[in-house]
Amino acid sequence: MLPIAAVLLLGCTHESGYEPNVPGGNAERGRRAIAALECGVCHEIPGVPGAWGHVGPPLVAYRGNVYIAGKQPNRPDVLMRFVRDAPSLAPDTAMPAIAMSETQARDIAAYLYSLE
Amino acid sequence: MSAVDSARALPNPLPRPPDELERLQHVWKPPKGWRLLSAVNNTYIGLFYTGAALLFLVLGGILALLMRTQLAVPENDLVDYDLYNQLFTMHGSVMMFLFAVPVIEAIGILLLPAMLGARDLPFPRLSAYAFWAYFAGGIVFFGTIFFDVAPDGGWFMYPPLTSFKFSPGLRSDFWLLGIGFIEISAIAGAIEIVVGILRTRPPGMTLDKMPVYVWAMLIVGGMIIFGFPPVILATALLELERAFHWPFFVAEQGGDSLLWQHLFWLFGHPDVYIIFLPGAGLVSMIVPAMARTPLVGYKWVVLAIVVTGFISFALWVHHMFATGMPHLTTSFFSAASMAVAIPAGIQVFAWLATLRRGRVQLATPTWFILGFFGIFVLGGLTGVMLAVAPYDWQVHDTYFVVAHLHYVVIGGMVFPVFAGIYYWAPFVSGKPLSERMGKWACALMFGGFNLAFFPMHISGLLGMPRRVWTYSDTLGWDTWNMLSTVGAFVLALGFAIALLDLLLHLRPAGKVDTNPWQAGTLEWLPLDDYGVRSIPHVESREPLWDQSQLREEVDSGRHYLPGTLTGERETIVTSAIDARPEYLLRLPGPSWLPVFAGLGTAAFFLCLTVKLFIPSMIGAVVALVSIFKWLWQSEPASTNRLYDIGSGVELRDHMTGRRSHSWWAMVVLMLVDGTIFSCLVFAYFYFWTVSTKWPPPPFDLPDGATSIAAAIAWSASAAVLAVAHRWLRAGVRRGALIASLVGAAMLAWMGFALNFMTLSDANVRPDQHAYGAVIYTMLAWQGLHVALITLMGGYTIARVLAGMVDDTRRNTFDNTRLMSYYTAAQGLAALFVMHSPSVF
Amino acid sequence: MNEEHLQSVLHAAPGSGAELLSGLGIVLYVGAALIFVAVIALVLHATFTDRLRASTRAWVVGGGIVFPAVALFLLLNYSIAVGSAVSAIESGSALRLLLDCFRIDSKARIPPPAPGSLRIHVDGKQWWWDVRYEVRSGDTSSIVLANELRVPLDEPVELLLTTSDVIHSFWVPSLAGKVDMIPGRTNRLVIRTSEPGIYRGQCAEYCGGQHALMALYVIAQPREEFEAWLTRQAQPAEAPRDDLLRSGYDAFFKGRCPECHTVRGTPADGASGPDLTHVGARHALAAGTLRNHIGTMAGWIAGAQDIKPGNPMPDSEVYTGRELRALSAWLESLE
Repeated sequence: MLPIAAVLLLGCTHESGYEPNVPGGNAERGRRAIAALECGVCHEIPGVPGAWGHVGPPLVAYRGNVYIAGKQPNRPDVLMRFVRDAPSLAPDTAMPAIAMSETQARDIAAYLYSLE
Repeated sequence: MSAVDSARALPNPLPRPPDELERLQHVWKPPKGWRLLSAVNNTYIGLFYTGAALLFLVLGGILALLMRTQLAVPENDLVDYDLYNQLFTMHGSVMMFLFAVPVIEAIGILLLPAMLGARDLPFPRLSAYAFWAYFAGGIVFFGTIFFDVAPDGGWFMYPPLTSFKFSPGLRSDFWLLGIGFIEISAIAGAIEIVVGILRTRPPGMTLDKMPVYVWAMLIVGGMIIFGFPPVILATALLELERAFHWPFFVAEQGGDSLLWQHLFWLFGHPDVYIIFLPGAGLVSMIVPAMARTPLVGYKWVVLAIVVTGFISFALWVHHMFATGMPHLTTSFFSAASMAVAIPAGIQVFAWLATLRRGRVQLATPTWFILGFFGIFVLGGLTGVMLAVAPYDWQVHDTYFVVAHLHYVVIGGMVFPVFAGIYYWAPFVSGKPLSERMGKWACALMFGGFNLAFFPMHISGLLGMPRRVWTYSDTLGWDTWNMLSTVGAFVLALGFAIALLDLLLHLRPAGKVDTNPWQAGTLEWLPLDDYGVRSIPHVESREPLWDQSQLREEVDSGRHYLPGTLTGERETIVTSAIDARPEYLLRLPGPSWLPVFAGLGTAAFFLCLTVKLFIPSMIGAVVALVSIFKWLWQSEPASTNRLYDIGSGVELRDHMTGRRSHSWWAMVVLMLVDGTIFSCLVFAYFYFWTVSTKWPPPPFDLPDGATSIAAAIAWSASAAVLAVAHRWLRAGVRRGALIASLVGAAMLAWMGFALNFMTLSDANVRPDQHAYGAVIYTMLAWQGLHVALITLMGGYTIARVLAGMVDDTRRNTFDNTRLMSYYTAAQGLAALFVMHSPSVF
Repeated sequence: MNEEHLQSVLHAAPGSGAELLSGLGIVLYVGAALIFVAVIALVLHATFTDRLRASTRAWVVGGGIVFPAVALFLLLNYSIAVGSAVSAIESGSALRLLLDCFRIDSKARIPPPAPGSLRIHVDGKQWWWDVRYEVRSGDTSSIVLANELRVPLDEPVELLLTTSDVIHSFWVPSLAGKVDMIPGRTNRLVIRTSEPGIYRGQCAEYCGGQHALMALYVIAQPREEFEAWLTRQAQPAEAPRDDLLRSGYDAFFKGRCPECHTVRGTPADGASGPDLTHVGARHALAAGTLRNHIGTMAGWIAGAQDIKPGNPMPDSEVYTGRELRALSAWLESLE
């Protein structure tokens, strides 16, 4: 019984084998982009100085999240779109569309996935 | 026989009585076990005092490490802004008021009697009282940080930020009342030191033979006496503003926040030299001893110390260059600030020349002295930069200033103090501290210090203001701050090693007979709890170098006062300039009274701060009862005998009038009071200058006729005691004396009531305008003195009734009389000031 | 124009008073370094060599009195010259002589501004800066902004510095030395630069809780750009252009924003907070704490107490996600 429950529980996380990665994304560049765009105003983001906001959800261990904003599956392509234009995926969100390049979005997604 | 003649008769060749030493040891025996806390002897109070000051150094240092950890990286969240603001306020306040000033007084109390060959300072219980008030008050003040009620206005507490509007709550009150009374404790210590230096020098030690350190402490004592009153007044004014909304610093009501800055820095800048000059004095002792040659340019160095003391009172405005003052003012204070570099230069080059002439012993004290040069010289040079007004406009209030002030204070005071600790440890415990640990400590302190503070010059120039709890990583300050943080921890490690060395190896020994550095001054004579066995006749600046037999002679009791003559503790009081023996001062022994008085005073102020009025009254009563009881035991009856202190010099065991040490202390106290009053007068005229019309409408001058009546009442009050003084000398009966004391007090109260009427009749109120606030404060200050002479008069009456006042035993009466003269003079001056707008 | 300069004494803008002060600084650094090295070398030599000669006259009088007295005398005069050169005062003949002695040429000096030229009133507040342009004499209410000053290149601009609460100090190190803002007084500072760019400054006098987060920007631009900006600043806010902005506008009035903030051209006329009429055009938000974009705007509105704890602006918790986005968008549109 117990092993089955464990497997089921694990199945709810990415640890069942799914490994999100962002082709071409550079986590370190992403960290710098997060700092430059000051995402930390709203989010707690490990590794980014001053990122201790409580307006949005904390992005601690982000890799383990199943859903983005509780709405969309946590996949690299979705996340890249979400960080640039959240309202298009979650119309009620408080998170505005943030002007940034595709590369920046890719790097930021890469950084968020590096947070285990 | 004069002292000079008698000196020829020294050493006394007569054999010493067999029980003389035993009796001397007996009267000076310290209390045992926990009763040691009731000791009043300078050796013990000096050690307690130094230990407590070092404890506050550690506590203040821990606060600094917390701040450095917070600033190690940008946008750190280790501590929040609110705690950080308390941390830097407490760090500055603790280091300045609980470490720096106390430690220099502590070392003074520890070393001075030995350097002067005295058995103790003239008021041992006053030292004990000053220590206990400081220690208890300091601990509670520090404790506020644990309860989130520590002050957070910065250690110079600028209003309006610290006043009722922007700092409600208790935080500022803790600073104002806590620091306010610790300053009073510092003044008590200064009175002790000044009177001690002037009146308990060994016969023959004329002013020009005083060790340089003693000179430094004399000047510093004087600077405390004139330098602390401005801040005592400032704290009182701000507390009045906070508690009763008397608007001294409220611009809309005729006040001015810059008045605080003037008063604070009028204290604050002399304070820097109050801290530095004793450090320099220690260096002037250690350098010649370690170089085994007399100080080059003794007279120049003494002159430099005296000049520094004076100039330091003309520099305060350089803390205010950015306040937008006229160019001429700026240039004047800029010039004065630069000028103070010259006496510093004299001292540096005197030490340098001494090192050149000598053959230097490379022991730990020398290491610390070299560290002192490396740090202090740079601090002095950046000090000249800050004196350059336009440059100061850039670096003022930045980390450049933080760097500068630490270079000056740690370089100019902490390194000399640690040099002193290693140098004088054998004087306390009979053997030196660990050379190995000492050198490690010195190296780590020096390296850590420079790593911590040199980068701050750069972060300051890169635009980092002081007192910021966080900074952005885009400003380029990261690296410099990280270096500073690493350096701070290295510095802390150095301190830890030195303090550990002290804990492990400093064991105060009763009997000490050592002179490890072959120094020339009296503190290296063989010592015991009683000090020196006999008080030497001094003929030069380095008696131990010039009188080769002195150690042996002194220790075998062949100089003055080789035992106890009255069967009590005693020391010789000498004249202030030429150190001729004048009388034998009988000193009090161990007592719990100063401890209770000190704790009671602390309780009074601190309970008042948190508005616990009943406990605060209990504290006040405990303090007053203890003080009166201790005073009651002072001025014992004269035995009316002449005592031979050796080689035919005969002294009485009692003195009244101008030659008594009590009279001197009273005069010093009146100087303190007079300075506080002068600052109040300064405040009055300051408000006048910032006001368009004076007195400001709708207020009016105090009523003229009533003012004249008040002046007459005060004058009469003093006159009554002047007459009573004549009666006392003529041997009048008790009744007349008591009547005159009662009459003087009543007349003084009458003057006070009349003065109050002059204000209330003219509709002046204290809480509407700075005008009313300042004249009511003058009245309140006068009222405090009237209350004081009432208390003193009552106490004198009690002594008269107990038969303890007569023509020869009248110090109590004289002190009351002096205070009453002072009160009358102050009252007249206050009335004149209040009416000055109609004169000018 | 958008080059951001370091907030640094060591990076003075050309043509500024800070440049003169930086020259003074170099004299001081070099002088101090030489004296320091010489003294320490002498100390070490004296310590490690025995029994050297040292006459009181040469060492104590020569080294300790004569040398510092001469050096300090020169320094004092130089500093008075520099001080007057950066202070925008009319120099009398004595000062002019001094300036010539130290070769401070007239172009480097900050001249007194011509009568009727631009004056900017800067009022310090816990913990931000209220900025008012006096375009016409006496009119200080038509161009109001916060935490940012724009100035034309190469022109001395007079700042009148005051405070509404505690003592602050106005300091933009690349442009000029600091001047305190003191209750009941008006202090004066004239700034000038000949290099366009964005200069950061920061409050230099500890002013309570968030003293660390009280920065401002001075943006220097060519006269024509400056004029265009000034004209724009004088205009009221535009009406919302689309539905999103309109709902943002509504959200502004749904919340408590108008109690403290003014947006000229709307009913919002609160006086205790920064004027937001052209907030979208500003370089930063929250007194230099945040970059200015829609995301930081939303974060600041919803989390002001997170970002700058203790500041007078409350966290606004009344908005739905959509409203917060719309409100931020509207404010950002106020350029």
